[in-house]
Amino acid sequence: MSAFTVARIDLKRLAVRPFAWTLAGIALAMMAWQFLLGVSAFMHAPPAVPGAASGPGFTDTVVAPYLLNYIQLCLVIAPLITMQALAGERGAQRLALLTVSGASGAHIVFGKFIARLVFLWLLLIVVATLPLVLAHAAHPDWGQFAAALIASALCVAALTAIGIACSAFTPEPALAATAALLIGEGLSLIDAGVRITGGDAGWLGYLALHTHLAPAMRGLVRSEDIVYFLLIVALALALAIRRMGAERERG
Amino acid sequence: MAAKSPLLQLDHVSRRLGGREVLHDVSFSLQREDVLGLLGANGAGKSTTLSIVAGVLQPDAGSVRVENRVVNDDFRAIRDRIGWVPESVPLWPELTVIEALVACGSLRGLPKSARRLACERELARLDLQDVAHRLCGQLSLGQKRRVGLAQALLHEPDLLVLDEPGNGLDPVQTAQLRELIGKLKAGRGIILSSHELTEVEATCNRVVILQDGRVCHDAPLDGQRGRLDAQFRTIACQSASVVA
Repeated sequence: MSAFTVARIDLKRLAVRPFAWTLAGIALAMMAWQFLLGVSAFMHAPPAVPGAASGPGFTDTVVAPYLLNYIQLCLVIAPLITMQALAGERGAQRLALLTVSGASGAHIVFGKFIARLVFLWLLLIVVATLPLVLAHAAHPDWGQFAAALIASALCVAALTAIGIACSAFTPEPALAATAALLIGEGLSLIDAGVRITGGDAGWLGYLALHTHLAPAMRGLVRSEDIVYFLLIVALALALAIRRMGAERERG
Repeated sequence: MAAKSPLLQLDHVSRRLGGREVLHDVSFSLQREDVLGLLGANGAGKSTTLSIVAGVLQPDAGSVRVENRVVNDDFRAIRDRIGWVPESVPLWPELTVIEALVACGSLRGLPKSARRLACERELARLDLQDVAHRLCGQLSLGQKRRVGLAQALLHEPDLLVLDEPGNGLDPVQTAQLRELIGKLKAGRGIILSSHELTEVEATCNRVVILQDGRVCHDAPLDGQRGRLDAQFRTIACQSASVVA
């Protein structure tokens, strides 16, 4: 119950902060621009050769790259929106206030995580409505669209959890954002070299975000991909809770 | 007949912070209806002592008991009996006063109806009705301190822990605070820190003086209240930068 109270407090605070609205505005403007570019490329693509198997459709050409762009954007937005979750609160003694008011370390971490995740998921919903505007004319593959949306939501959750963990471990919000950005980019680019040369990435490939996003963008939701994202969330939140538990001993 | 057990008992508490021993073997006790003033220079260990009493920090050695229950062993149960207001009052600047109080009540696990009543009671007690719908970030320091007190009193704690409550207040607000502390001590114990002798004289019936993390004096103020004897003044003045 305390976790939801903490989440409610943080959502209220996010809702009145110009920072969150500015971030959302910039993100939506960038995504709208990306969407228009995607639609334009789709409109000007050469028509499929008569008799050949049909080429990539609206979902392949526009929606999947568009959602992947949102993930790329979240590599930056998630650290920015999570950096103050714990790091900024510690100095102002608001974490101590939560602790003495009855919230445990786990409640605080879950509450902060839920609040930021709700913000980023709401943004994802708004982002996802843009392709829906053209659904009547473009006939998207709904299965593929749903798979891409699920993977995007899970990936955003993983990036948010990483941001919360970094915020728990560092005293400065800027440091937390930098650490979360580096980890996110690291997971995004870890297998980039192998991907470019076309070799087998092995375990590096398993760690990479792209490995677990690509099948979903083609419409394939695999349990191993879901487990991967949930493992990141669980590991990051467990580390953050552990750090919060040590707060009273460390001072 | 057995002696009445103290509301708060610190036994040989020590604590290191940043490699430095901030508290060394600190022991004192507080009875119900007592107002104990923790006096000392900046860096003497007052805030650390109060943070340990409030359960925000753990002691490295020794124990803190509230009505014979060790705070660290039973923190979840004991924190409901403690109200804490740190020096820099932690408020959510984006929430209104009433929203902040409701949130604190919710965190304390007060049922919705009781929460509403508790908020109204504290708004009235601390004269905050006029600013109930103002954002906490827009309040003056005196109002922020009163909101902090309201948050700490929502659950009617037995022990009230106030860190430098008079800091930054104007003379009128200081007088109001003293009057308030006098009313609040009924039925509970209050421990407050200060580096001003006059504030402790005016509000407390016992004083503990900390010097370099050690208790160098612990005694009740004399019966006339408001008169620290010469010995107290000498010790206090030895603590560098204490305002006499």
